[in-house]
Amino acid sequence: MTTLHEDKTARWFLYFSVVFFLVTILIGLTMAIKFVFPDFLGGIAALGFGRIRVIHTNGVLFGWLLAANMGLAYYTVPRLAGTKLFSEKLGIATLGIWVFIILAAVITFASGDTQAREYLELNWWLDVLVTIAWVMFAVNIFGTIAKRKHEQMYVSLWYIMGTIFWTAILWIVGNLPVYSGVNDANVNWWFGHNAVGLIFTPMGVAMAYYFIPKATGNPLYSHKLSIIGFWTIAFLYIWNGAHHIIFGPIPTWLQTVAILFSVSLLIPVWTVIANFFGTLRGKWSQGNYIVKFLLAGTVFYLLTCFQGPMHSLRSVNQIVSKTDWIIGHAHMAVFGAFSFFAIAGIYFALPKILKRPMYSDKLGEWHFWLSFVGFLGFAISLWIGGFIQGLQWMNYTIAFLDTVKAMFPYYLIRMFSGLFMMTAQILFAYNVYKTVQVQDSQLQTALS
Amino acid sequence: MKFESKAVLLVLGVAVFMALGTYFTMVVPLTDESLFTPTKDAKPYTAVELKGKEVYQREGCWYCHTQQVRNLLEETQRYGMGEEETFKRFGVRALIQAPPSQPGEYVYDKPHLLGTRRVGPDLARVGGKYDNTWQFNHLRDPRSTSPGSIMPSYTWLFDKNGLPTEEAIALIAYLQKLGTNIKWREERVEQVRRLQAKTSTQENHSLAELKENN
Ligand code: HEC
Repeated sequence: MTTLHEDKTARWFLYFSVVFFLVTILIGLTMAIKFVFPDFLGGIAALGFGRIRVIHTNGVLFGWLLAANMGLAYYTVPRLAGTKLFSEKLGIATLGIWVFIILAAVITFASGDTQAREYLELNWWLDVLVTIAWVMFAVNIFGTIAKRKHEQMYVSLWYIMGTIFWTAILWIVGNLPVYSGVNDANVNWWFGHNAVGLIFTPMGVAMAYYFIPKATGNPLYSHKLSIIGFWTIAFLYIWNGAHHIIFGPIPTWLQTVAILFSVSLLIPVWTVIANFFGTLRGKWSQGNYIVKFLLAGTVFYLLTCFQGPMHSLRSVNQIVSKTDWIIGHAHMAVFGAFSFFAIAGIYFALPKILKRPMYSDKLGEWHFWLSFVGFLGFAISLWIGGFIQGLQWMNYTIAFLDTVKAMFPYYLIRMFSGLFMMTAQILFAYNVYKTVQVQDSQLQTALS
Repeated sequence: MKFESKAVLLVLGVAVFMALGTYFTMVVPLTDESLFTPTKDAKPYTAVELKGKEVYQREGCWYCHTQQVRNLLEETQRYGMGEEETFKRFGVRALIQAPPSQPGEYVYDKPHLLGTRRVGPDLARVGGKYDNTWQFNHLRDPRSTSPGSIMPSYTWLFDKNGLPTEEAIALIAYLQKLGTNIKWREERVEQVRRLQAKTSTQENHSLAELKENN
């Protein structure tokens, strides 16, 4: 077999993302403990809830998931283009900047340096670095696509190209320091909603479109469905931001528009899901852990994107908005769906890159089941607790403090579920580490 | 020409769609005057309040507290004043609803702190709800004022003797300002007083009539 692909950039992006995944999930667990024991690690400003929450959210989104997806893009795009990556040097430089950004983010956030706009908290000079790194990523990906061997581009490439464009615009326009008042909130949610809708969704979908056919050996179910799915996502997502502020101090028409478009999101989601299920057919029961991650990710994607439109309906929003229910929902998207896709991608790509199997398939199975069960415990406890809390809030004679105390059992279950999720990712990191390490020591013996 | 084989075409299509949605949901509101015209009572933050807002942002209070009373009956009731409170402070017995949040109250907020999550209660109308002593005690040790609370103890905003630092003082000044861009407490209590005065004179009238008829 010829070694067309060097995969250096891809490899190191993936290693970094796996390590940072552990860091962010450890912080998540710390927060879950604080909900049960509020004085846990108390008295230390840098570890206060408000300081570490931003490290958790930004860390998961940019340090783990986006880094993993970038690594997988560096892996898939050259293969789909049938040519080498445009520049490994540029790729490694991009990684260097990315690692610097993430580490600087941890330090600045812990010291309380924040712009206090959700998912846009990074200080301006880090914003500039992100922009530079993203342009470098774009040059590499578009450069590779430009010299592709096949004229027709596969659906994963559409999504990756779309994401590069969407992210750039969202990031720059969202970060402009010109908004104030409720317009600032509206822009913030234009960004925040689309960070999920037009960065992590299309990246996750791109990876699922690549790895589901690869891991199952089935051909893509329908080209037509992928076209419909792509263009409806491109058209519909951007209108949704205001559904985060329903009943809030923004014009009613804006809320209604957001609701209408939110409900219509069922079209692209169900189209994409139908395509995934069609491609997965016949492989449900015989799958290994890679297929399990892909299948569970697809189901969670379906469910989270059913919840989303329902939450935007005024009657439902009245109850669940601002409660812990939403935390369950958000984790289903980011952990249950898109992290599962990225994990599957890493399990598939890493052995191909290193040209040897994963260190342990058994650990892979454990990784799946602990993640799956842990996540279900996490989400279901918050859904039940959050829904009850939402109903309690509708009766003003129940003191707020009592609604906080009522959450105790659910926070407790959430904490233990978080422990499962954490354990699972330790197994993941260990498995990856062992796979890499065996390779290196073998190389050394071969060399000596 | 198909977009599947032409990257430029694909990016162009994506850009047009994005511009369309952005124009209607972001640019149009940005030009809507009612969204950036201050309310009649709105006042910019003082230097101290602004410093307090920075502490609020730095400590991430806004991850646990929203600042928007939504336009829902249960919220205007919950974040208004109960009978006990109005009686103790104003000498009238009435359930007073808080006004729902209005765009004009936020014009001096940069960044906005509307928030999305209520681990603790909404703070949009908290100004004037408690006195400063309660606020300091609560900030230093939430469980001393609210047993069972899961809010963190902000001990680092207090000195060794438990006295509030400049930052804590600024933070509480900021909290006391929240929601006062509409003078709802005073105005609504006044309304209730007038109403009660009117009904009591009416009652006196009817009493007098009764006596005359006898
Ligand atoms: C982990 C979540 C959390 C964080 C972070 C947090 N709070 Fe709280 N807060 C709560 C909870 C829960 C309550 C309700 C129980 C109580 O009164 O302590 C509360 C109550 C309050 C109240 C009383 C509101 C009322 O109407 O009774 C104020 C004022 C307050 N918090 C201010 C702050 C400030 C200022 C900060 C930042 C320095 C902050 N909170 C950070 C959870 C939090």
